[in-house]
Amino acid sequence: MPSDLLLVLPLLLPLYGALLCLAFWQREQWQTVMAGIFQVAWLVAGMILLQRVLEAEVISTQVGNWPAPFGITLAADVLSALILVTAGVIGLAVYLFSLQGLDITRRRFGYYPLLLLLQMGVAGVCLTGDLFNLYVWFELLLICCFALLSLGGTKGQLEGTLKYVTINFLASGLLLTGIGIMYSLYGSLNLAELAMLVRQPEHPNLPLLSMVSVFFLAGFGIKAAIFPLFFWLPASYHTPPVAISAFIAGLLTKVGIYTLIRLFTLLFISDLGFMLPLMVVLAALTMLIGVIGAAAQTDFKKILSFHIISQIGYMLMGLAIYTPLALAGSVFFIVHNILVKTNLFLISGIVAQRYRTSSLKRLGGVYLQQPMLSVLFILSALSLAGTPPSSGFWGKLMLARAGLEAGEYVLVGVSLFVSIITLFSMTKIWNEVFWKPRPVSVRKGSLVTPVNPLRLWQLYLPVTMLLGVILLIGVYARPLVRISEQAAERLLHIEPYTDTVLSNKAVK
Amino acid sequence: MRTIIFATAIRYLTPLFLIFSLYILLRGHNHPGGGFIGGLIGSIAFVFHVLAHGSDRTVNAYFRVKLYSKGKPDDDTPPEHMWRLLSANTWNRLPNYPQPEWRYHIVRLRPAYVMAIGLFLAASSGLLGLFQGMPFMTSWWMEAEIPIIGALGTPLLFDAGVYLLVLGMVLKMIFTMSKE
Repeated sequence: MPSDLLLVLPLLLPLYGALLCLAFWQREQWQTVMAGIFQVAWLVAGMILLQRVLEAEVISTQVGNWPAPFGITLAADVLSALILVTAGVIGLAVYLFSLQGLDITRRRFGYYPLLLLLQMGVAGVCLTGDLFNLYVWFELLLICCFALLSLGGTKGQLEGTLKYVTINFLASGLLLTGIGIMYSLYGSLNLAELAMLVRQPEHPNLPLLSMVSVFFLAGFGIKAAIFPLFFWLPASYHTPPVAISAFIAGLLTKVGIYTLIRLFTLLFISDLGFMLPLMVVLAALTMLIGVIGAAAQTDFKKILSFHIISQIGYMLMGLAIYTPLALAGSVFFIVHNILVKTNLFLISGIVAQRYRTSSLKRLGGVYLQQPMLSVLFILSALSLAGTPPSSGFWGKLMLARAGLEAGEYVLVGVSLFVSIITLFSMTKIWNEVFWKPRPVSVRKGSLVTPVNPLRLWQLYLPVTMLLGVILLIGVYARPLVRISEQAAERLLHIEPYTDTVLSNKAVK
Repeated sequence: MRTIIFATAIRYLTPLFLIFSLYILLRGHNHPGGGFIGGLIGSIAFVFHVLAHGSDRTVNAYFRVKLYSKGKPDDDTPPEHMWRLLSANTWNRLPNYPQPEWRYHIVRLRPAYVMAIGLFLAASSGLLGLFQGMPFMTSWWMEAEIPIIGALGTPLLFDAGVYLLVLGMVLKMIFTMSKE
């Protein structure tokens, strides 16, 4: 397939899917079928793209056939294709979950088109080769996110969405300011051309570049929930139904981290001596505050929300150490975490749907009722905590080794300590939700949704699918480690990227 | 706001707004204008109509068609029958009260459909370049210049898509808000 087609397919497929859903607005079943077809197609398109960039390193296209620094650039390297494939996997899982796990009203009022448009935004962020377009795609993604978070309009949801909207507008303002300053300093917004310009040591505006990088660190730091800008996340992510929050919680903060990794390896390399130590501190604090926050919670979904923050710290840790192994560890960890976090959210959804609460105090005895679900949970939870044969272990191993090699002993110590607390926190969920007997006061008179075996298996299906992928990554980690190393290699040696993008001439 | 002067004026202004919006859409290639602003101007026509007459009457007047049909009588050939159906729906339109042997269907153009059509046009205008083996959205222009309309090409199709998208969006908003 030509790269022109390969690069626009991940954007066009969700768009066409969404507009077909729009055309069948009155028929919810048809929307479901359409959305399913396009979810699978999106995943396949991502996989073909990944396979292609593994061979060709970087591919790019110029939308509208205008030559490189002027036109709209789309470019993909291993990292962006990897994120796309992972997003495709959880997109499919969340879609399958929503068939039984989401109420009919929300599905009728545009859940599927919104989810597809959100995926288009994610693909746009991953594939764009232009700083301003990056901002536009991020806005698109966030608008879909707002609509999804508030879909249904319950009181808690609106409150959570309001916090999310406010803080993200602030972040967008910071980003736009940063982009404006960047343009006034260098006169270009094409990432490849900017990457060439910032590498000219005699450029007069070079000392001002670190000021811009602070804008981007703050803006994407808010979107990725880095300390001290994380407080919006636990306030908003637990409010919507799980079929919505699982996708958003699993993916969106990681897209923020992806952008930070992309920009701080491509553009803001001039002042790393100042930025990296800052990031080391931020990463350590993000990890610590995340788990400490989680330890204080007594709600299934809220604990998971706080753990998102703590895991973000690990991803930032890879960027802060800034060696090939560390970046590879970061990439591996992003993939692992997107899968595991989505899976845990889906499990919390199954529990909450059956017992109509996600408060640890009112849950209990799930192990006796649903042993299968308990096994699915404990495997995912161990993977999140990073016990040896699981996927989390390999990511943390790579990060810890890179940290020790670079002499960041404190950071590695903190990360290992946080792992133990994560394990403690997962044990807490296991004890309270699955192991302890159901509280007597709750047992009487409280409602348990009756179980329909077929329905239950339909809910288990996406969770089992995701767990299969997680276990595969854990047991047979080598291919993904190799791909992550290749991605890190590309991040640190940008010549193929700039060459491929800038050599794009107009096709006659 | 239902005054007679306003309501009467709107009856004449609505087509004027629509024609002007099409003019803005078409001149957008080399002058200020284009799909977005054209769509907004076009939607003003319907906004005023809703203000003057209420959203139900706007929908009835512009976005709802009653199609008549009936079973084919034995002594009619199929073309004759088609002709009869066509004439009953267009120039010899049946009056608007129940007709004995005629069934009717109400076809409604919802704002969501307008948006979907617009999105489809805009996204598909870029596909032509892909089919020719060039990057997405590579423009294609017809050689000949047509009077009034100017040059025809895929960018115009894109603009028309944006026009419909904006129109559908504003219609959706105004219909929803006028129901409150």
